[in-house]
Amino acid sequence: MTTFIPIAWHQLLIALGLVGISGAASLYYHLKLERDLLVGVFRTFAQLLAMGYLLNLLFGLNNALLVIAVYLLMTFISVHIVHGRVKEKQVAYFAPTTLAVMLSYSLITIVVTKVIIGAEPWWSPQYFIPIGGMVAGNSMNALSLTLERFFSELHTKRDQVEMYLCYGADYKEATESIFRTSLKAGMIPAINSMMSVGLVSLPGMMTGQILAGADPQDAVRYQIVVMLMIVGSTALTSILVLLLVRKRCFTAAMTLILKKDRSVE
Amino acid sequence: MHHSKPYSQVHEHTASTPVLVFDDVSFAWPGGVGLQHVSFNVPKGQFVLISGASGTGKSTLLRLIVRLEDPYQGRILLHGKPITTFFPPTLRSRIGFLQQQPVLISGSIRENLLFPFTLHSRKHCVQPEEQELQQWLTKLGLEGISLDAPANTLSVGQQQRICFIRAVLTSPDVICLDEPTSSLDRESRERVEAAAEELIHQGTSVIMVNHTSYHPTCQHMHLHIENGAVSVTS
Repeated sequence: MTTFIPIAWHQLLIALGLVGISGAASLYYHLKLERDLLVGVFRTFAQLLAMGYLLNLLFGLNNALLVIAVYLLMTFISVHIVHGRVKEKQVAYFAPTTLAVMLSYSLITIVVTKVIIGAEPWWSPQYFIPIGGMVAGNSMNALSLTLERFFSELHTKRDQVEMYLCYGADYKEATESIFRTSLKAGMIPAINSMMSVGLVSLPGMMTGQILAGADPQDAVRYQIVVMLMIVGSTALTSILVLLLVRKRCFTAAMTLILKKDRSVE
Repeated sequence: MHHSKPYSQVHEHTASTPVLVFDDVSFAWPGGVGLQHVSFNVPKGQFVLISGASGTGKSTLLRLIVRLEDPYQGRILLHGKPITTFFPPTLRSRIGFLQQQPVLISGSIRENLLFPFTLHSRKHCVQPEEQELQQWLTKLGLEGISLDAPANTLSVGQQQRICFIRAVLTSPDVICLDEPTSSLDRESRERVEAAAEELIHQGTSVIMVNHTSYHPTCQHMHLHIENGAVSVTS
């Protein structure tokens, strides 16, 4: 078994040089990405270093409440990012999304750490935070896709939804096909990634474990758990969020809240 | 021509309870005129023609009946009960509503005609038989079209007639038709107008918005909307 080679500060600075390729491309082709690149690099350093210190702190304190609090903060930030990405502002969906996300992320993470991995205790920060982080990160992208698709379909298929309502459909019946399309949009990337994993991509978690000196066979089993967990969490999160958000798109009189500017003839 | 009176004044002259009543209804779009103090009664089997310039609120008036919009003042009654007291899907299952633009779902023409009967609010209703669907297609000049044909292959005019049939098949108490002939040639237009007028003989109240110079052959009530006010002529 190979031993783990830590990266020193000066080596990190050399790695920084690799970003220079992007910077040079941006300057040469006038892409105007220099600012984003600079902010991106700065945030990568700041956020990851902060997380490193935080994890060290959490490992040292080994306090369940603190671990869960940090995790809930991570999920809250993920919802905030989704809220920023999704353009729809007529429907108040932040609160139900936060609730659904915290519930589904926590459930999946606890199932993985306690039941599958068998970490003792289940909230052990070494397992709970990285596993939970992967659940949150991947589900966040799925959730953005799901919500984007849901709201855009509600806008473009507004006449169809109203037609259903006019025939006596309730809001669930009126949006059944939109619900399915949106859920599918959120679930497909995770399912597709199961197709290419190991052939085209070697996922970060597995490579990380191998670099840290773990047996590739062990690393692979962890990665399989992670892949399956992501497929499950993207579906669960998207379903819960859609169920809560869909209801908020309709008034008590069962009409769409999303308004056209003016719809007289 | 006379301006409409509030329901309380009109009602005492009516022998039986009207199917639909607008009682001093006002509605406004943000920054628009909307509809002001609209009152009229629609008895069972009455044909109502609504006219008015574009943007005066003809479609809005129909949308108020199915609660796609709610007025800020006044009441709308169905069979003597305020429509706000109905569970919205129940209310809408008793009112036929044909949108201005034909809207079809993906699937066959048969699926389009019968989908309202798959809805929860209509689960106790008897689905019309194949023969009845065929009769309607023939009646509206669509006899050459198979019920199994995909709906998205139809022309706009054909779609409009399919939507009309779909609304009629649900046997509503009141049917609201928002320019049901806007995409039709003269012959098809006359077929749809005749079919709409026939509905009153089955006791259906028909409320039709029409832009064209259409004059119903049956006895009818005429609502003209201008500057937010509705004038009623019998």
